[in-house]
Amino acid sequence: MEPPGNDVVAFESAEKIILRWDSTASEDAREKMIFAGDRYEIDRYLQAVDEIQRSMEFATLSDDQNKANSAIQIAMARLEDEFRNILIAHTNPVEAESLTDSSPLPEEDYEDDSPLTKDLEHQESNGSCSYRPTNSIREIDLMPSDAIYDLRCIAERMILAGYLRECIQVYGSVRKSAVDSSFRKLGIEKLSIGDIQRLEWEILETKIRRWIRAAKVCVRILFASEKKLCEQIFEGLGTAMDDACFMETIKGPAIQLFNFAEAISISRRSPEKLFKILDLHDALSDLLVDIEIVFDSKSSESIRVQTVEILSRLAEAARGILSEFENAVLREPSKVPVPGGTIHPLTRYVMNYISLISDYKQTMSELIVSKPSTGSRYSSDPNTPDMDFAELESQTPLALHLIWIAVILQFNLEGSPELREMVGDDCLRKLTGKFRQAATNYQRSTWVTVLHCLRDEGLHVKGSFSSGVSKSALRERFKTFNAMFEEVHRTQSTWLIPDTQLREELRISVSEKLIPAYRSFLGRFRSHIESGRHPENYIKYSGEDIETAVLDFFEGYQVSQHIRRRSQ
Amino acid sequence: MPATDFSTFGRSILSLRRDQQVHSMESGGHEGTSHELELEAFQKQVAERFNDLASADSDQLLSIPWIHKLLEVFLSCQEQFKSVVSKNKGLLNKSPADRYVMEYYERSVKALDVCNAIRDGIELIRQWQKQLEIVYYALDNQRSIGEGQIRRSMKALIDLAIGMIDEKESNSSFAHRNRSFGRNNAQKDNNSLGQFRSLSWSVSRNWSATKQLQAIGQNLVAPKNNEISATNGLATAVFTMSYVLYFVMWTLVAAIPCQDRGLQTHFHVTRQFVWAAPVLTLHDRILEESRKRERKNVCGLLREINKIEMCARHMNELTDTIHFPLSEEKEGEVKQRVQELGIVYYGLKDGLGPLERQVREVFHRIVRSRTEGLDSIG
Repeated sequence: MEPPGNDVVAFESAEKIILRWDSTASEDAREKMIFAGDRYEIDRYLQAVDEIQRSMEFATLSDDQNKANSAIQIAMARLEDEFRNILIAHTNPVEAESLTDSSPLPEEDYEDDSPLTKDLEHQESNGSCSYRPTNSIREIDLMPSDAIYDLRCIAERMILAGYLRECIQVYGSVRKSAVDSSFRKLGIEKLSIGDIQRLEWEILETKIRRWIRAAKVCVRILFASEKKLCEQIFEGLGTAMDDACFMETIKGPAIQLFNFAEAISISRRSPEKLFKILDLHDALSDLLVDIEIVFDSKSSESIRVQTVEILSRLAEAARGILSEFENAVLREPSKVPVPGGTIHPLTRYVMNYISLISDYKQTMSELIVSKPSTGSRYSSDPNTPDMDFAELESQTPLALHLIWIAVILQFNLEGSPELREMVGDDCLRKLTGKFRQAATNYQRSTWVTVLHCLRDEGLHVKGSFSSGVSKSALRERFKTFNAMFEEVHRTQSTWLIPDTQLREELRISVSEKLIPAYRSFLGRFRSHIESGRHPENYIKYSGEDIETAVLDFFEGYQVSQHIRRRSQ
Repeated sequence: MPATDFSTFGRSILSLRRDQQVHSMESGGHEGTSHELELEAFQKQVAERFNDLASADSDQLLSIPWIHKLLEVFLSCQEQFKSVVSKNKGLLNKSPADRYVMEYYERSVKALDVCNAIRDGIELIRQWQKQLEIVYYALDNQRSIGEGQIRRSMKALIDLAIGMIDEKESNSSFAHRNRSFGRNNAQKDNNSLGQFRSLSWSVSRNWSATKQLQAIGQNLVAPKNNEISATNGLATAVFTMSYVLYFVMWTLVAAIPCQDRGLQTHFHVTRQFVWAAPVLTLHDRILEESRKRERKNVCGLLREINKIEMCARHMNELTDTIHFPLSEEKEGEVKQRVQELGIVYYGLKDGLGPLERQVREVFHRIVRSRTEGLDSIG
């Protein structure tokens, strides 16, 4: 019989090593891990695997093939365990410090660093970060490089032997649980759409804020780093192995992450949600660049598609809320002016809303310009607001509201240049015109009858030899004036005009008509009253008294019935 | 048409049973307005679609292609419902018609969580498909089948079995796995695989498919005659669509693994509706399936899940009795089982992707219908 050839010897000694480490066969083999031991043992094992692999390719007899196959299977099962063990040893969730960088580098830095960052791209990263020039992605090392080297050694052999499916499975299951721990650290919750619908908006606002921070970290750091790890271990080892492992790891967590944003995008619309929805939209829009980079393969298409869908739904929601808000204001049914004549709460709300909107001007313009509403309400020029409101005499509630809006706009626009710019001077002028008209109407409606008491006609008796003033008519006039003025004073003191400037203006406009008229009336006719009986019943107030009384107007306080009299 | 006339006319439409449909079409007399004809057509077409589904034989029922069809039926019904509602917009601003329609849209939102849970379930089945793939790859087209391939397949089948154990039992079985690991690893490995199971659901621990179904079916009662006449028949369309939604979601939960899956929900529908018969038949058949001995504790009634289990069982039985070297007969048996397994594997590989996409499509269409619907009412 021929002595066994070199090949056979090599095979048999390799086989011995493999069998020695068969975990199904011996307690000893189960207790120790090859890759936790010394380098010599590791290399010996790997060489044995290579030898078996080689002999498989050259084996012709089916018996030999079967032997080799059997040995390979034992080796692969062992390597799978080793692979899993190394992975598990390095699944500590990423340190909090690396994860809390939520603010990406400002754009200026990129411009300055670009030659440097391009170098970094090609370098083996020794430090813990590598930068890419055109986005905010920041990959960190999830594993020490010696572990990566070992994993790659194992993966190489498993793939060569046709055991890549097992390799992907093990990799995916261990790394996925690591990603899930990181998710927990970032405070990413598992909430159903029903949960989110039931939550109070204030709580949701907090969750949205937290989600935005977490999502940035997830996409730019966590997912990107996992992708890098896959590349480091699997690149070049088989068709799209690195991509398959990446998707196995990340698909579930990514879907879970974006489910939250999706749930928000389909929640019931109401005005107060506008700004957080815009925040979410903007954040997701910023992330889109990074998402396209991290999820750039065919198998991750569904994730890219989902985020684009969510983005468009958020935009739709924002537009919807805005037009619903518009409708609500236009349809505002309350015809009763606010008692005290102060600013209607809806007006105040609208003003706050509008000033916040001006902060989101850029996003809102993009959203609205991209899909302007059609409808007869809007003039062909999108820049002129539709200002066709019913005449003030009929006092539609909206008109009243807008008057006050104009008032506030006129006097409060220093603090909000964007708002002023958005509203535009033209609009402002129109509103101011309406305001002026309203002020005039006020004058007319309130004071015309009062001033009527102080007119000349009707007091003179024709054809008499005395000064010709009808004392009775005069007394009547004074009485009426006093009663009316007291009434006006009583009610209009309780009216509140919050804006001090406007308050002053109106008071001045009242005084400048009223005071001279009263003084002149007093001056011309007081002697007639004083010459009669009980003049104090008729001439109750001096000019100063009236002046002082006017100061009470529009302060919003109830005043005593009696107007102070300084003099008698 | 005066309301009273319609209510009698309407009632006679709705109480038609299939075999009477032909006669009623011919029984001249009333000339329905286009609105009434449309409502009637809606009922009829829902019935037709479900009759088609109910005609599936026992092998087709609850298979992936059949579920595909079920979802298509849902989408067609919803499209038709939308068009019926939008054509009758004038009616909608008079309550209670708009209230009914709003109720449907709010009900449909509850189905979204079911869609998401089903997406997770499909992913879980995909993991099992991957185990099958290993077995198939190991044993198919081999020049000769040796111990190595068999051991490899057995290992994959064990992993498959572990993966398929119902979630309720998952914690106890890990201790009994006959995998061998180093002592240091047993603890850690238990954790990682145990975590894998619970982490495969993207919903919170206390989400329940059963409760979600109950919420969808809440207050789902056939409209009374006065309600029907007050809404000019729209109430029956709403009820029909709501019922379709409820049934489809129930079936999905029955078929596909999901968290806290339960089939104990009540179906109240009287046979006065044309589509009631096929829907109730399907319901009974599916319940019957769930009561079969071998399917009692299964994690999902999907036909393919049953096939996976059968294949795995056959393969396990075979490998238990294998001795090397393989006799020709034995090798033939192996090849046969591998072929069987291959069919199941390819069925999953080709079917799960499109099914997942279609579930997503259902999700989108529900959202879109609701947005458009609420916009048109509001």
